[in-house]
Amino acid sequence: MTTYWGVDCGSTEIKVVACDDAGRVLHRHRRRTLFPLIEHVRGALAGDGDFENPLVDGGARVAEGHFVTATGYGRGHLDFAQDKLTEIRAHYLGVRHQLGAELPPGQDYAIIDIGGQDSKVITVKTGDVDQFIINRKCAAGTGAFIEELAHRLRIELASLPELERRHDAELTLNSYCTVFAAQEVIKVLMEGQRVENLIHALYRSVVKRVLEMTVVTAPSVVFSGGVLTHHEPLRRMFGEKLPGKRFLLAPEAQFCGAIGAALHGLERARKQAAPPVHPSPSQEKHP
Amino acid sequence: MTARANVKEVMKEYLLDLDQAAQDGRRKVAWCTSVGPAEILRAAGYEVFFPENHGALLGATRMSMDTIPVANAAGYSPDICSYLTSDVGAWMKGITPLTQAYGIKSVPKPDLLVYNTNQCKDVMHWFEFYARELKVPIYGVHSPNHLPEVTAAHEDAVVAQLKGLIALTEQLTGKRFDEEAFRQSLALSKQATDLWAEVLATARARPSPLSFFDATIYMGPIVVLRGTEVARDYYVAQLAELKAKIAAGEAAVPGETKRLYWDGMPVWGRLRSLSDLFKRNHTAVVASTYCNSWIFSDFDAADPLRTMARAYLKIFINRNDAYKERYIADTVREFGIDGVVFLEAKTCPNNSNSQYNLPARLRAKGVRSVVVNGDLCDLRCFSDEQAATVLEAFLETL
Ligand code: SF4
Repeated sequence: MTTYWGVDCGSTEIKVVACDDAGRVLHRHRRRTLFPLIEHVRGALAGDGDFENPLVDGGARVAEGHFVTATGYGRGHLDFAQDKLTEIRAHYLGVRHQLGAELPPGQDYAIIDIGGQDSKVITVKTGDVDQFIINRKCAAGTGAFIEELAHRLRIELASLPELERRHDAELTLNSYCTVFAAQEVIKVLMEGQRVENLIHALYRSVVKRVLEMTVVTAPSVVFSGGVLTHHEPLRRMFGEKLPGKRFLLAPEAQFCGAIGAALHGLERARKQAAPPVHPSPSQEKHP
Repeated sequence: MTARANVKEVMKEYLLDLDQAAQDGRRKVAWCTSVGPAEILRAAGYEVFFPENHGALLGATRMSMDTIPVANAAGYSPDICSYLTSDVGAWMKGITPLTQAYGIKSVPKPDLLVYNTNQCKDVMHWFEFYARELKVPIYGVHSPNHLPEVTAAHEDAVVAQLKGLIALTEQLTGKRFDEEAFRQSLALSKQATDLWAEVLATARARPSPLSFFDATIYMGPIVVLRGTEVARDYYVAQLAELKAKIAAGEAAVPGETKRLYWDGMPVWGRLRSLSDLFKRNHTAVVASTYCNSWIFSDFDAADPLRTMARAYLKIFINRNDAYKERYIADTVREFGIDGVVFLEAKTCPNNSNSQYNLPARLRAKGVRSVVVNGDLCDLRCFSDEQAATVLEAFLETL
């Protein structure tokens, strides 16, 4: 019996899950991303002491009976991790696991994930990742953009959705750039606009930035990641912009990447346990 | 002829000799763009220096990160060619990577500046800076651009300008242009470029003995020593070495399982880390637009001016998108390539081919690709983390 751990080192949060060998999530934990990263990941794996720590020897290695897979931007920096994969594939695996019943393999869908520093659209076709696109380098269209403007407006992040619902006019924020957008915000405020209308415009601009990255052709769209979980107006606006599609929110949207990483470890173990039908090219060359 | 292929040595000797030439009142130095009419300049008795090679060196040593801001502050925008800003900034700051590498104090001072706009117009602004700064004669070959086909009329336009260049060199050197030396120079270029094409073609082997990252180093002589025996002899040796590697089953990327095409500029300051990333993922980058750009099959010493005009017009960067689409799709097929990486260079739209929907059109032909945002020299426009994620995620889909 092995416990499969997935560690998603995001730019804002470290997310950790543990799965059993049937793929059931046994434990989850998240905390802010702080540095040195590896120390905080060790802390996240130890959790609050309510679950067995997979690391031994002062966090230097993974104990017998555990398998740790890393994903997220920090995935390459965890020397104890036994495998890694990108967050693109991890999100896909996490979504497939959670919504498998709703999204059978024949069904194509898109995953929209808005994270702290990036946003991505993943297209799943015939049961695998077909294409993906990640936003360009600036913060527009990401959680950082929302956070920055909330900070400028001196408004609690959590109260943005409620304020947005009270908007009564359409404004437009044009800029790609967070700094320029902040200047636009100040200008609009000086002109006496209601802050509720600005927040509405802010959300709209995030949705626009994401949708201008690609054309979503799949009939279903899955939302994943913390930003889409916490900011309902974004989900509503995607619905308005993409009429006729079916929308699903991954039940554990914030843990999709970590769950996917854990399952990647489990899949790998299953593959290794099964006798190979044909040796893979890499096995041929590297016995 | 059979000397070990030692590109570092070849480049070192070339640069040391140029440095001497620049200090020797009897020898003349011309600066030329990388796909400019170097063979004419050699035949006219000039030693030829290529500022783009200097730009690449500034990028590879990451000195660019100190020199680009100097050019920016002087009024050269961060959005224009970062070879230009790296190089002009280095000039303004009075530094060069040649000092550390070869003990050379400064880039070789030119007696003549010659650019060709077959690649872009930034080279014109770049060379004009030096013309003003150093009060040196400048000559531009203004090529017809972005051609679907290269016609006789296009060639005529360039031939006329090449004749103008020849007349200028006669005037500056006070000597009649040596037609025979020109034929000779073009014949040597042709031999070198054919060998270079063969060097690149060795990457068709599985596993490939050559990766894009090696090729960006091996390409030095075909860029800076066209028209010389040195370049030809180097590629004879390099080709033999690669063929021996194929025979021995030696792979550039051990355990090669995936093969890629690289379109666009190299990220000079990240050659090593990108090469390592691909190696870790058992992926060989086996062909590229960039390295292929110095294949000039049309050169023919029997008709040197016209075939030179033709070859320098036909380069990939100077063609329309339909040509580029065909070219990449054909290369992908010929080299057994699994996917294409498009480097979208922030400061070189001329050499960034993902911006006009080409990836989607290639996809319709069954060619998968990914776009990486970055730059040739300006690492302010490059995110290591994002590039790694995009590339590794792409490899996961192949
Ligand atoms: S083609 Fe691009 S990199 Fe080369 S000189 Fe022109 S702008 Fe610079």
